[in-house]
Amino acid sequence: MTAFAADALRLGETRRTTRRTILPARLGRALWIAPIILALSVTTLYPTVFLLALAFSKSTLGKPFRGFVGIKHFATTLQDPLFLSAIGRSVAYALSTSLLQLALGFVIALLFTSLLKAGRFLMSLVLLPLMTPPVMVGVAWKLILAPAGGLLNGTLIKYGVIPEPISFLGHPLLAWLAIALADLWQWTPFIVILCFAALSTIPEGVHEAALVDGANAWQRFRHITLPLVAAPLSSIYLLKLILSFKLFDLVYILTFGGPGFATTSAGFSIYRRAIEQFDVGRAAAETIVYGLVIGLATLPVVRLHQHFERRES
Amino acid sequence: MRLGTRHLWLAMATAPIVGFFALPILYLVAVSFKTKDDVLSGNFWPTVPTLANWPGAFEAAGIAGFIFNSVAVSVLGGLLTIALALPSSYAVLRLKIGGRWLADLTLSSYMAPPIVALIPLFFLLKAAGLLNTRAGLVLVYGFANVPVAFWLLTPFLRRTPIEIEQAAAMDGAGPLRTLLQIVAPIIAPGIVATLIIVTVLSYNEFLFASAFTFSDATRTLPVGISLFQGDRLVNFGQMAAASLAGIAPVYLIALFMQRYLISGLAHGGVK
Repeated sequence: MTAFAADALRLGETRRTTRRTILPARLGRALWIAPIILALSVTTLYPTVFLLALAFSKSTLGKPFRGFVGIKHFATTLQDPLFLSAIGRSVAYALSTSLLQLALGFVIALLFTSLLKAGRFLMSLVLLPLMTPPVMVGVAWKLILAPAGGLLNGTLIKYGVIPEPISFLGHPLLAWLAIALADLWQWTPFIVILCFAALSTIPEGVHEAALVDGANAWQRFRHITLPLVAAPLSSIYLLKLILSFKLFDLVYILTFGGPGFATTSAGFSIYRRAIEQFDVGRAAAETIVYGLVIGLATLPVVRLHQHFERRES
Repeated sequence: MRLGTRHLWLAMATAPIVGFFALPILYLVAVSFKTKDDVLSGNFWPTVPTLANWPGAFEAAGIAGFIFNSVAVSVLGGLLTIALALPSSYAVLRLKIGGRWLADLTLSSYMAPPIVALIPLFFLLKAAGLLNTRAGLVLVYGFANVPVAFWLLTPFLRRTPIEIEQAAAMDGAGPLRTLLQIVAPIIAPGIVATLIIVTVLSYNEFLFASAFTFSDATRTLPVGISLFQGDRLVNFGQMAAASLAGIAPVYLIALFMQRYLISGLAHGGVK
């Protein structure tokens, strides 16, 4: 071990002197961050520039950039009631389901925290939904909700709650609830894990001091726990919002946007425009509009998070 | 006595939660052993269990090929991500190259929904002749997960004592040698955890895979399953078996990671 270490050090010395003479120091330093610059260029910078160019051009999936069309695609997009309602649905879905999952995940994390050792074991169990491929999550819930032979219909009929099967995925509102349920199953565990971590940073002594002062359980929760985790909770909400705006797989598997366009999210709408209708010029304009809406919708949450962080420091 | 009732309450609150999270997977297992008629019964467990769905799923749907593609693409993509993200996060945190703007740019690139990159990457892969190839997906996943890996690796790097690196530098080791031979072994648990997370992200990915591959030779498992269910004569038992076959590798990794992370952290704690 020591011989190896000494060897490594000698090697390091020779390497260093040769590097000094061959490579200019600045270029050498730039090389370090070249990989991440390359990755960001390919996955973010280039797509943004390319999308902007597409959005102002007549473009199909087969033949892009066949002439400049000005703001035509943006005008069409902003006057398209189907796409605007898809954006509305995506925003309403993301804001509401993320809040619900945050509340539920926080309560479960509180429960697991009070279970101590058993809670830690349960954490590794709830990790599994998070790891499940979303397509398979969709398949599992589709089997449960199926009108013919689905578990839910079968159970409801058996106990006489409903006389005949309900087509959950064929009803506009119930189909959204089905997507939200599958989403909740998959992502609430993630929130539980993050809230558990946030709760475990609260020092023990704080609670004991309040206990001595005669504070009851609710007072301790309301005036100690909650303010201490407000900042992490707001950042967890922001993270889940970002994930919710990416909603695609569950829609594809569970409803394929239907019935009609009832569960067509913005992302799914753009996908069909580009991959099925080949109209990438208009899909690019829609993507840019959607991106701006996401920015506007998450801004208040970013502000809230900054407010909590400032208050803490 | 009070403690006893308290525990009873906690257990009563926990049971439905565990039941809810276990339900879909248990139901998949149950359906995978049901015959075609039994699937329509609406019962939870099969009345007469059959094993036919499992070989059926592998024969009829080419599930084995899809699983191979998924594993190959996600593992190679994950290794590429680590190779790109490790030097970069080390450079930003310890060598003070790039600095705050690069960290912020990385985070904001993660915030954009993947649909933004879908069309541009389609044309990039087409131009490079990598459309409908596994190599194309490896590159897409390898690049796309770099921001995630960057953010996962940074806290591990921050926790390593800087004195070790200073000592290495005084002994004449260059930054690359310090990273590979001294820092990397210390944060190995963090690197492995990050590798597992980005690999699972790629393994589960559907949007890019469905748009960039269009033959059975290149399709990944989520895409294969999604086509399975588009079939009009869908056999739910086979579909459940195929889904479980695809979930199994991730669950094995999840259990394995659990142990690895705990032992890795305990090891670091002792030192």
